[in-house]
Amino acid sequence: MGSSPDIERLYDKHATALFAFLLNLLRNEADTFDVMQELFIKLGRRPALLEGVREERGFVLRLAHNAAIDLIRRNDARERNYDQLAREQISLFAKSPDPDEQIFREKLAEALGELPPDQRAVVHLKLWEKLTFEAIAETLEIPLNTAASRYRYGLDKLRDRLRPLYDEIK
Amino acid sequence: MNADFESKLQRQPLRELPRDWRAEILAAASGLRDRGEGATLLTDEDEVGRAVLCPPRRARSARPTSSDGISTWPSLRAWAALAAVWLVIFLLHVAAPDEPRLARNSPAMTLQSFARLHEQTLMMAQFPSQTDVAEPPVAPPSPPKPRSEMPRKQLIG
Repeated sequence: MGSSPDIERLYDKHATALFAFLLNLLRNEADTFDVMQELFIKLGRRPALLEGVREERGFVLRLAHNAAIDLIRRNDARERNYDQLAREQISLFAKSPDPDEQIFREKLAEALGELPPDQRAVVHLKLWEKLTFEAIAETLEIPLNTAASRYRYGLDKLRDRLRPLYDEIK
Repeated sequence: MNADFESKLQRQPLRELPRDWRAEILAAASGLRDRGEGATLLTDEDEVGRAVLCPPRRARSARPTSSDGISTWPSLRAWAALAAVWLVIFLLHVAAPDEPRLARNSPAMTLQSFARLHEQTLMMAQFPSQTDVAEPPVAPPSPPKPRSEMPRKQLIG
C-alpha cells in the first residue's frame, strides 16, 4: 500500500506551511494532525481538486483554513476551551539558545493566541508565508481591505503587547 | 519602528513539522485512495474546499477530559455498583409477599355490607339537601304590550 507520488509531493511541498498555519489557528497539536490528515485524505481521494489551480500553496492553505474553522465551529460546546487553549503557551516557534530570544518567542506565541482567529490567520499568512494582501484575500475569501485592516489591527495588538520586551532586547 | 518590528517577527523561525507525521498521514491518504472510499471525510460538493470533518482521531474529543468539564465518563466501578443496587432491589421485590399488608388485614366485603351500604344511600336520598331548598319562583317576564296599549304619558315622555 504505497502512497501516491503526487500526494507525497504535495506533502513535502506544503506540509510544513500547513502545520505552522494550523497550529497557530487551532493551538493544539492533536487537532492540527487531524485536520492535516483529513486534508491529505481529501486530496488523495479527489486529485482533480488541484486541476486548474494557479496557486497550489494558496489553495491548500484555503482548504486548511476552512477545515480549521469548521472544526472550531463544530466544537462549539468547547468554545470556552478553545479560548483557553488560545491563551495557553504552545511551542509555535523553534527553541532558541538565547534566553532573551526564547522568552520573546514564548511571549509572541502567547500574544498571537490572544488575537481573534481571523486576525491571527492574516498575520500568520503575511508574516510567515509572506503572502501579499491580494493572495491573503483570495486564500481566506475576504475582501482585500478586510485583509489589510485585520493585519494592521493584529500587528498593533502584537506591538502593544510585546513593546516592553522588544525595546529591551532590540 | 513598524518595519523593524515586522521584520523581527518574520525572523522568528516556526517550529518544525514532526517527522513521524509524514508516514502516518501518507498511509492514511493513500490507503483511502486505494480502497476508493471516503470513510472519514464528508465533502460538500457544492463548495469546493470546504471539508466537513468527522470526529478527529487524535483530538481531545476522543475521550473527554476533566478540562472539558465532563465528569460522567463511564467508569467500570460505577456501572458495577449501579448493577449491584438494581440486583438488590430486584431480590427484595421477589422476596416480598404478593398481597399488600393493608389489603390482607382489611375485612372482606360481604353481601351484608353491600346491603347496608345500599340502605344508607336510600336514607340519605330522603333528606333534602341545601340545593333542594327552592327559592321563591320568579314570575316569567310578561310579553311586551303592543304600542297602542301603552299609557299615553310613557309614549309622549
